[in-house]
Amino acid sequence: MNTQRDGNVWWKEFPLHAPTEEHRLLAHTVESFVRDEVEPQAQSYNRDERFNRELFRRAGELGLLGLTVPSEDGGAGLDATAAVIVHEALSWSDPGFCLAYLAHAVLFVHNFATNANEQQKRRVLPQVLSGQWIGGMCMTEPEAGTDVLGMRTTAELQGDHYVLNGRKMFITNGAIDDNTLGDVFLVYAKTGGKISTFLVEKGMPGFTLGQRLHDKLGMRSSMTAELVFDHCLVPAGNLIGEEGASLQHMMRNLEIERVALAAMSLGIAMRCLETMVQYANTRHAFGVPLREHGQIQRYIGDSYAEFRAARSYVYDVARRLDLRSLGNRADADGAKLFAARVGKNIADRAIQVLGGYGYMGEYVVERLWRDAKLIEIGGGTLEAHQKNITKDLCRAPEWIRR
Amino acid sequence: MKILVTVKRVPDPNATIRVKPDGTGIVTDNLKYVVNPFDEIAIEEALRIKEKGGGAEVVLVSIGAKVAQEQLRTGLAMGADRAILVVAEQDLDPLGVARILQKIVEQEKPDLVLMGKQAIDDDANQTGQMLAALLQWPQATFASKKESLESEAEKNGLPGIQMANGKAQVVREVDGGLETIEVPLPAVVTVDLRLNIPRYASLPGIMKARKKELKEIPVAELGIDVTPKLRVLRLEPPPKRKAGRKVSSVQELVHLLHTEAKVI
Repeated sequence: MNTQRDGNVWWKEFPLHAPTEEHRLLAHTVESFVRDEVEPQAQSYNRDERFNRELFRRAGELGLLGLTVPSEDGGAGLDATAAVIVHEALSWSDPGFCLAYLAHAVLFVHNFATNANEQQKRRVLPQVLSGQWIGGMCMTEPEAGTDVLGMRTTAELQGDHYVLNGRKMFITNGAIDDNTLGDVFLVYAKTGGKISTFLVEKGMPGFTLGQRLHDKLGMRSSMTAELVFDHCLVPAGNLIGEEGASLQHMMRNLEIERVALAAMSLGIAMRCLETMVQYANTRHAFGVPLREHGQIQRYIGDSYAEFRAARSYVYDVARRLDLRSLGNRADADGAKLFAARVGKNIADRAIQVLGGYGYMGEYVVERLWRDAKLIEIGGGTLEAHQKNITKDLCRAPEWIRR
Repeated sequence: MKILVTVKRVPDPNATIRVKPDGTGIVTDNLKYVVNPFDEIAIEEALRIKEKGGGAEVVLVSIGAKVAQEQLRTGLAMGADRAILVVAEQDLDPLGVARILQKIVEQEKPDLVLMGKQAIDDDANQTGQMLAALLQWPQATFASKKESLESEAEKNGLPGIQMANGKAQVVREVDGGLETIEVPLPAVVTVDLRLNIPRYASLPGIMKARKKELKEIPVAELGIDVTPKLRVLRLEPPPKRKAGRKVSSVQELVHLLHTEAKVI
C-alpha cells in the first residue's frame, strides 16, 4: 500500500470506512445479512414491540456477537471501526434490533470479556457469543441517570455472597418479552461508597423483573425493563474485577458504547437521505420533479453535508479508539453529540420531503425519526456530552489542535 | 477430490450501470465490485461438496487485475482453501479466459471445475463450454436441483450435485422440466441460479481468510496467446421503457398484440 499508485500516494486512497480486508469483508457480510434477513422483519417486529430472538441467534452464528472479543476468548478480535460498521449497517434497517445488539455485544459481552477473569469467561462467554443467553448492563436507576455516581444500589459481602439491594431502570434486554427476564447482566453497585461490577444471572434469589416498559417513542424491537434486586444473593465469585475498582471499567466501556451509538445515527441518516433523494427524483410537483424545487434542494444539500461530516468524524474517532485504554472521552462524546443530532435532523427532513407519505409507516422514515431521538438520550444525554467535553478541554486545551 | 472454482470480479448487480457517452465502456468511477453471483453459487456448491458430500479441497481461480484479490478473499472467507490469481491487465474474451483456465487445470489437475454459467457483466455464457472442449472433458451446464430453495435440503446445506463412483450427477433445468445427467470425472460443470443460496462469510471465516494462500501468476508466464478474437464495437444502454397503456377489452388487447407488438 505504501507505493505510488496512479500518481497518488497511498494515504489519499485510504478507505476510512473499511481500512483493512477484514473490515471490507465484514461490511459485505453485514450488508447482505441486513438486506436478506433484518430488513424483511423490521417493520412487523417494531410495530408489535417484539424482540426477534431467532434473528439474534443468527447474528451469533455469523460471529457478530463476539466482534470485539479477543480471538483467544472465541471472538473475532476486531476493533471499534468494526463495531461502527456493524451498528451503521444494522441501524440502516432496524435501529431497535441494533440497540438490543449493542446492549448485548458492547455493553455486556465486550465489557465482560475485558474485565472478567478466566474462570468467569470460560463459563459465560460461549453462551453469550452464540446468543443462547441474552445479556445487558445495568447502570441507570430510577433516580440516577446522568448523575451516575449518585446511584443507590448497594452490595454488601456476607459470607460467600454479596447481597444486592436496589433498582435499575431503562435496561435494554432487561426482558425479552412481558414476563421473561434477560439471562445475564453486568450490574454496577456501590460497595463501601465505591463502584463495583457484579455478574447477575436470571434465577438468582431476589433478582426479578420489575416491569417491562411499554409505549417507548421508538426502538420498539428492543425490550426495555426495570429490574429489581431485593436482597439478591450473588456468589462472591461473580464479582467482576476488584471490589470498588469499576469506575474505570465503566468509563472505558462508555467510550466504545458512545461511538457505537453514534454509528447507529449514521445508519439512520444514510437510510433517510437515500429515501429523500429517491423520492425527490421520482415525485413531481408543479410539473417538475421535486429535486427542481429550491426548498427540497436545501433539505437534501444540508443533509448530505451533515451526513458526510458525521460519518467522517465517527469513523475517525473509531480509528483512533484503543479498546484497552481510556482517554478518548472528548471525541467519543463529541462523535455521539454531533451524529445524534444529524440523525434526528435528517430523519425529520426526510419526512418533510416525503410529506404525507413520510408520515406513514410504509416509507420507514417515520419509524427512524422516532428511533433517532433515543441517541440524544441513551448512553449519555447531549448535556452529559457537553459537560464532559468542556471538562476535558478545559483540563487539556491542547487536545483541540490534536 | 479437488474442486477448482472460477471467480470473476464484476460490478455489483444492485449498482446503476452508466454507459460512457462515447460507447467504449461503462463508467467505473465509484462502482462497487462483487463476486459474480453465479460464481458465488459455484463456490457455495463446492463448499457443500466439501462439507457434506465426501470432502474436497476447494481452490479458487480468478483472472484479471490485481484488485480481483478482493473477490478471491471473499471466497476464501466463505471457506475455500486457497486461491490463484492470474494477473492480466488487458481485456480478454471468453476463448482467452478458457485458454488460461486450461493451463491452470493442467497445473492443478482438479477432479471437477465448477463455474458460474455466465458472468453478469457481459453475459457471454461461453467460457465453461469452451474450457470443456479445450480439455476434451465432459461438461454439464446450468446445474440446478430438484428441491426448491425453500426446501429442508436447502436449509440443511445439502449439495445439489451428487458425486459418487467417479461421476457427477447433475440436475439441469430444461424447457418443460428437469433433466438429470451423469458425467464421468474429471468434468466441467456450470451452475445456474436455482442450485443453492450462497452463505455469507462468517466472522471466523473472515478472520481466517488473510492467512490462506493466494498465489499470483502473471499471465505472460503461461506462454499462451490470449489476444481477443472479439472486438467490442460499441456499448449502449437499453432503450428507456415506454409508459404502459390501458386497453378496454380482451379483444382490443389481442388486436394490439397482433398488429402493434406483433408477438402473436
